[in-house]
Amino acid sequence: MENAIQLITAFLGSLGFAMLFHVRREKLLLASLGGLLSWGVYLLMGLALSDDVVRYFAASVVVAIYAETMARVVKCPATVFLVTAAVPLIPGGSLYRTMSAFMDGNFTACSHYGLTTMLLAAAIAVGMLFPMSVFQLFRRARTIAACQESKKM
Amino acid sequence: MEEHIIPADSGARLARLEAADQANEYLYQVLDIGQYMLQSGGEVSRVEDSIRRLCLAFGAERADVFTITSSIVVTIYSPAFGALTQTRRVSGQQYDLNRLEKLNQLSRRICAEHLSLEETRRALKEICQAPQYGFAVQIFTYALISASFSLFFGGSALDAVASGLIGVALKCLDQQIRRTQANGFLSALICSCLGGLMASLAVRVGLGESVDMISIGNIMLLIPGIPLTNSLRDMFSGNTISGMMRFLEAIIMALVIAFGFALVAAMM
Repeated sequence: MENAIQLITAFLGSLGFAMLFHVRREKLLLASLGGLLSWGVYLLMGLALSDDVVRYFAASVVVAIYAETMARVVKCPATVFLVTAAVPLIPGGSLYRTMSAFMDGNFTACSHYGLTTMLLAAAIAVGMLFPMSVFQLFRRARTIAACQESKKM
Repeated sequence: MEEHIIPADSGARLARLEAADQANEYLYQVLDIGQYMLQSGGEVSRVEDSIRRLCLAFGAERADVFTITSSIVVTIYSPAFGALTQTRRVSGQQYDLNRLEKLNQLSRRICAEHLSLEETRRALKEICQAPQYGFAVQIFTYALISASFSLFFGGSALDAVASGLIGVALKCLDQQIRRTQANGFLSALICSCLGGLMASLAVRVGLGESVDMISIGNIMLLIPGIPLTNSLRDMFSGNTISGMMRFLEAIIMALVIAFGFALVAAMM
């Protein structure tokens, strides 16, 4: 039940952000589906693993692949999907808990949550790095091939 | 003999000057495109790449582009007009992914079809005037985001309603503050303090159960998610300086926002 609520709200939250950033029409649906996907992967990974960092990493790998693929399908920048689909992963909750513990003067909890937040952010970043670099490699290879082709002509 | 050379030479110089004039005007337009791309949320690597391609498409033999989040510097060279440099200071960002996409399409079209200056100007104007979502939709968006994330993090339905209402209030506040052109961090601090205050008040009057759950919805709304993702992308594609700039900006902003909410929560 809780998972279902999270999936639905991940979808709606991504939809909200996509609208906030003026994404239009069919891309709106694709962007929100990306949010659903990212949280879905996170929950699925939870069946096998309990480590949050690895789950966030896996989710952001999938998000980056999704964004780059959709960018090719509907021919628009990958940023459109990357940014909106990653919204449920943004560690806003743990960031708030960090500062909240700080204001309470509970520094043990503060450093614990702070470290978690940084680790999650790093996991998301590194997770996005891999697929993006691979896609970039393909793109570069294709550009070079096109250049050589045009030089021959 | 020399009298023959001078007019021939000045004719060549005239042609060169004319070519330089044209190139300068083209470059100015290219910088317009680059500036709009940066402002609507494009990554530095994308902007650099687009500008370089546009310059090469114009006939420049070489184009050196250096872009950070707040500035663009371009030098192009061709034997026809020599070396030309223009710089552009870019300030203020308002994310608009629809506009970014249109600009991307336009720059591809310019490269492929070699549009004239006039055609490009018209296309740019059209992009800048493309309709954005109206105020009513934006208010709905704020409510949607706040309510969704309040539920997402485990809030009750009542928390979600409170969070959504506060989200709308924050949107109106944000519009007012933006009009005064105050410092971005200051306005974020004001917004988050008032957000925290309203969350506490909502719980006191019985609208919502948990201040934390209401606040988290509003925090997700204000937190700079795009700059964070973009800055990481920038860093990984080799633009370390602008990546660091945006990353720090995002982290400070996130801290200010979380601080504002937590401060009020601690005082209440």
